[in-house]
Amino acid sequence: MPKGKGDEGGFMKFLWNSDTGEFLGRTGSSWGKIIVFYIIFFAGLAAFFLLMLYIFFLTLDLQKPKWQMTNGLIGDNPGVGFRPQPDQDKNVDSTLIWFDRNRKENYEFWSKQLDEWFNEIPKEGGSDVTKCSFGAGGTDTYKDKNKKREQIASCFVDNKQFGECNPENKFGYRLGEPCILVKLNRIYAWEPIGFGLNGKQYNQANFPEIFSNELKELEKDIENNPQQGMKPMPLFLQEYIKKEVETQDHNPQWKTDFLNSVFISCEGENPADKENIGPISYYPHPYIPSYYFPFTNQRGYQSPFVMVQLKKPMPGVLINVECRAWARNINHNRPDRLGMVHFEIMID
Amino acid sequence: MSAGKPNMGRKLSRKSSYVFENGQIPGYVHMIRQASRTSSMVSRTTDPEPRESYGSPRVSRLWKETRQPRTPATPEPPDVDERTPLLLGKTPKKPDTRSDEEAKAESVLADLRKELEMDSHKISLDELYTRLETNPENGLSNRQAELHQSKYGMNLLTPPKETPEWIKFARNLLGGFAILMWIGAFLCFAAFAVQNATKPDAPKDYLYLGIVLASVVLISGLFSYYQEAKSSRIMDSFKKLVPQHAQVIREGSQLSVCVTELAVGDVVELTYGDRIPADIRLIESFGLKVDNSALTGESEAVARSAECTHDNPLETKNLVFFSTSAIEGTGKGIVVNVGDKTLMGRIAGLASRLESSQTPIAREMDHFVHIISSVAIFFGVLFFIISVAMGYSWLDSAVFLIGIIVANVPEGLLATVTVCLALTAKRMASKNCLVKHLEAVETLGSVSVICSDKTGTLTQNKMSMSRMWYNGKMHAVERPDDPDNEGLSKIIVGDPEFMALATVARLCSRAHFKVGQVGIPDALREVVGDATESAILKRMETLLGNVEQYRFRNKKVCEIPFNSTNKYQASVHCNKSDCGSHFLLAMKGAPEKIIEQCSTILINGETKELDEQCKAEFKAAYEELGARGERVIGFCDYRLPPEEFPEGHLFNTENPEFMSFTFRFVGLISLIDPPRVNVPNAVRTCRSAGIKVVMVTGDHPLTAKAIARQVGIISPGNKTLDELAATQGVPVSDLDPSQVKVAVIHGSELIDMDEEELDAIIRNFDELVFARTSPQQKLQIVEGFQRQGTCVAVTGDGVNDSPALKKADIGISMGITGSDVSKEAADMILLDDNFASIVTGVEEGRLIFDNLKKCVFYTLTDNISELTPFFLFILARIPLPLGTISILCIDLGTDVVPAVSLAYEKGESDIMRRSPRNPLKDNLVTKQLISYAYGQIGMIESFAGMLTYFVIMSENGFLPLKLLGLRSQWDAQQINDLEDSFGQEWTYEQRKRLENTCSAAYFVSIVVCQWANLIISKTRRVSIFKKGMTNWVLNFALIFETALACVLIYTPGMDVALKMMPLRVHWWLPALPFAILIFVYDEIRRLIIRKFPGSWVEEEFYY
Repeated sequence: MPKGKGDEGGFMKFLWNSDTGEFLGRTGSSWGKIIVFYIIFFAGLAAFFLLMLYIFFLTLDLQKPKWQMTNGLIGDNPGVGFRPQPDQDKNVDSTLIWFDRNRKENYEFWSKQLDEWFNEIPKEGGSDVTKCSFGAGGTDTYKDKNKKREQIASCFVDNKQFGECNPENKFGYRLGEPCILVKLNRIYAWEPIGFGLNGKQYNQANFPEIFSNELKELEKDIENNPQQGMKPMPLFLQEYIKKEVETQDHNPQWKTDFLNSVFISCEGENPADKENIGPISYYPHPYIPSYYFPFTNQRGYQSPFVMVQLKKPMPGVLINVECRAWARNINHNRPDRLGMVHFEIMID
Repeated sequence: MSAGKPNMGRKLSRKSSYVFENGQIPGYVHMIRQASRTSSMVSRTTDPEPRESYGSPRVSRLWKETRQPRTPATPEPPDVDERTPLLLGKTPKKPDTRSDEEAKAESVLADLRKELEMDSHKISLDELYTRLETNPENGLSNRQAELHQSKYGMNLLTPPKETPEWIKFARNLLGGFAILMWIGAFLCFAAFAVQNATKPDAPKDYLYLGIVLASVVLISGLFSYYQEAKSSRIMDSFKKLVPQHAQVIREGSQLSVCVTELAVGDVVELTYGDRIPADIRLIESFGLKVDNSALTGESEAVARSAECTHDNPLETKNLVFFSTSAIEGTGKGIVVNVGDKTLMGRIAGLASRLESSQTPIAREMDHFVHIISSVAIFFGVLFFIISVAMGYSWLDSAVFLIGIIVANVPEGLLATVTVCLALTAKRMASKNCLVKHLEAVETLGSVSVICSDKTGTLTQNKMSMSRMWYNGKMHAVERPDDPDNEGLSKIIVGDPEFMALATVARLCSRAHFKVGQVGIPDALREVVGDATESAILKRMETLLGNVEQYRFRNKKVCEIPFNSTNKYQASVHCNKSDCGSHFLLAMKGAPEKIIEQCSTILINGETKELDEQCKAEFKAAYEELGARGERVIGFCDYRLPPEEFPEGHLFNTENPEFMSFTFRFVGLISLIDPPRVNVPNAVRTCRSAGIKVVMVTGDHPLTAKAIARQVGIISPGNKTLDELAATQGVPVSDLDPSQVKVAVIHGSELIDMDEEELDAIIRNFDELVFARTSPQQKLQIVEGFQRQGTCVAVTGDGVNDSPALKKADIGISMGITGSDVSKEAADMILLDDNFASIVTGVEEGRLIFDNLKKCVFYTLTDNISELTPFFLFILARIPLPLGTISILCIDLGTDVVPAVSLAYEKGESDIMRRSPRNPLKDNLVTKQLISYAYGQIGMIESFAGMLTYFVIMSENGFLPLKLLGLRSQWDAQQINDLEDSFGQEWTYEQRKRLENTCSAAYFVSIVVCQWANLIISKTRRVSIFKKGMTNWVLNFALIFETALACVLIYTPGMDVALKMMPLRVHWWLPALPFAILIFVYDEIRRLIIRKFPGSWVEEEFYY
């Protein structure tokens, strides 16, 4: 690459040399030849690349990821997601839900996201979904791993069960009592391991001991990993689990399935936030039922979720909210945002 | 000598020259004559007598004819207006736009370029005494000495001003790619600052990256600074600061004074063995002879006396010069110049003020840095604009810019090149070529002209007997089998004719061996005496042995010493013979004088009448030897008749009665400073390597020509214009000068030439010898060659060579005989003083150029594969396939050792049969190299990396099409649930782990492709199957590179430190087909290049 230095106009001459008819140091035919060569070269190289890619794709099953859970990089510790999300175009990296309950066009930005989410949920009675329940065995197929994706229907998510969190109510945004959709990240073939079970069926005699041991273990983990931002299970959740398990209405299979669910809790992050956040309601209940797991890319699979409604949040202040998913095989890691999610709410 | 080495590299700044105190130049030194028009060192027409005692036929017929009639040399009156610089062709008094200091420095340089002009040797002694306020008996008073010291300065050479260390260091920190890297680092810090300002817990990635980039620049700057400092320390080993003293008369008493304290006007006593402490005008001389070889290149000692014999200070006999040495005799003189104003000081000053041009390799590296930086800036700016236009934020765009800069700049390359050069320098040092600064390593390989000094470089710098003529025949003394000696008779020891000559040669001599040298070979024994007699003595000792004993047996009873009017020397020895004579007269001297004294000649054992035929034979032999540039001495003997000289006769030396006889001529002996044994071979090798060897010497044209013929600088069949004229019997003017390819140019001819004429000579003659050149003319010749665009090497050992050494592209000095000044000025030093070592240097230099080319090719190739990920990242908006840190791992990690190992490659073909590279065309980095490295091999590597990327992404859930346009979501920290092709949702950290894994895999694919690339880089033309894999350093590098890559990705903790993730074994594989493709593709390219020379493929892709 000759450079026009030294003599003046050297670069101009390099650009276009009228004596030899050279443009950028080459004549027309020279350019022609080299361009044709490179077209052929790149065509050949691209073909080689595509051939290699094709050969590679022959080794791939397009139904499921080749490397699942810890074999792959996604791991076996799901993250937690929330909706609605702030406008990415306006503010990258923001997790602040900030709305004015008095301005329709303002809060509708947030409620619309949940609207859309609701609309995407397959309607009951479709061929892709069935209604599932704990201990009913109604979808005895959902855990059959040998079945192909086409043969498995997903469990139905009923959008009628979310109480005040409904489109008509603008998901509470109108009233300054916003609903936040909290869901667990899908990881292929991942299943929660429940508390109080030791991996077995529910046993009434063992349950309290196992459960309290597990909670103690959790506290030990918290001490050992101070960086991860782990916290003990909130008391309300402990009470809720114990209460449900102790209810006599449910059979042991129900209780096993219940305990194998993923529990969800949301809290103010700091003491001040805890004060400002006010009471919280979970719709339909503070857990994601176990029958939604594992995710195996089923037809019509809809991510199950919990609606978290802040009943009386303090307006005009920024509230840090942290939602955590609870299962024996979910580790909380604040820096990596695993098993938990953080967002802020501000209501004007 | 001075305490520092001038920084001669390309980094030499204008500021490093210093200002000469112009006002202090003594009034009697007129350095104003125009180009010293009349003063060649020896002007033939005005040379009143031959330099040497025995009167060799220097003024030969052949030489006379080459000379143009010219105006008699008379010194022109000093005329300030006529001042024209000798070389530059521009007047020093230009309209002064620059600072006074610069202008002053320039005019000093112009002054120094002219030849010495002074009158202290011409004026009468009384005038001199008055001028210098001294007197010959009492010398200076102490006060006056001090006064003169402060007036004229101390007797010291001002050391060249050194560049301050911090400036050198700063240059290393800002040279090459450093500026780009600093920009990159600055952008990193800026990006971090912006992030930090907007978010409380901003990731520190950019801070780290910025620190890494800054450290890379700092470390590589330190490294090159260290290398530079190391090579400049080489010189320190040469500095032998032996304090010297001079015998001075001050205030009437003689005392020993340190040389540096000598003042102008001091009366100094000189004894043989002394080094002359300053420029001195002699007032008394007792057979004083000085060796001026350091100044003039003449190997013979010259006699000095008190008379002014020549207007030219260099020719007159009453001046002796600083740094030359007294060989014989004693003398007394007045110091007329000290320190920088001495002749030697002026030459040294000239040398240190000259700026040596940039070395070819430095030019190549600059060219290369220029190209790569332009490419980096071009892409950087282009993509900055594109990304801003595509709606990326300023911060993002700046981050892309960082990536593009880092990818484009081969961070490790300059250090790699330094290491390669250092390795070669080391190898060359083991072959007796000591390189003073690394860049000079390659320079010798680019050399197309070698201007060699004669004395001490091509020749041995000692006289030795060459031929003997007796019995009407020429005899070779040494190497009778040499083609040069064809047709000559061999010496047969014991022949009466030989013995007669040998007897005279042994007896009529004042040279003798130093005592106490037992068991030392004759050739190495030290001799006291002049060079001619010593050479004869040594040869006689070897041929006959026991010369001392023989002399003892034949005692000298009377001697007529040599004087310049008689030009002979005779002695009478006791030597009884059959015919009753008691005394033998032995006489030697200038042949024409000797033959005048003879009436008979010894032929075939009989003493015959010296008839006309014999005289003709003698004349022919004498001229033949003279034409060979040899010094010829005639010998005769005579048995003194016993009647007149009975035993015990007392001789009267004052009025020797025996000189009235006529003697018997016994023969001629010729002497020469013979060429070194392996020089002819070396010259032949240089020629086959397309290098023109030119002799530039201060010695006489005939001697120079003879040596030039003997070593092959003038090829056997070629004749000069006048030789051709002589053989054809026509006058020179009738011949077409373009017929001849050989020319011997006399220094005095050069004076009258302007630049164009000199250029024409340089262009028109293939074989050139410059004789009787002054230091300034040597410089002129070097500049003449440089104007032709050639890369010039100059060899020399004397002070007189040093300006040329400095100006040359590469100056080569001699380690043993070389003067400090010449070593100072040189870039390279031949430790064994052998011209043949230059050949090694040329070979190594050419090899390293080839290997550097390979090294650059190897390193540049992956630039494009580092750049492609950014292009796709920005244009196709895919998650980043290759992180910035990984790029640095390649450039500064895995690439370094393989690139260095290419320095150990052997040459592909016989590099010494190739012409020197054309500095305008054969660049280190050519467009072919860029096209092939960037456009082809680099692209293959990019595809390999991208395949690996897609493989890992797909296997983990992101199929290629899903990736397109995914970038903004992928990189959004708040998105904690990004969905892949299989419906899985990824948190930000999980995505980043996947991204880092891809980056590590891309890194590994580059490593895998670089295996193939390293192997193909080994050879540019021949097949690798022919070349073989015998470079074990390279083979080791392959393993090392791989091991290093494994360490980088598999060591625990690297995920945090370098964002490298461990890979599955099979993720190494996708790049393999591409590595094989690279290998096969390049084999085919080379096959085509070999099979179809000159084809389009060779034109476009042979780098």
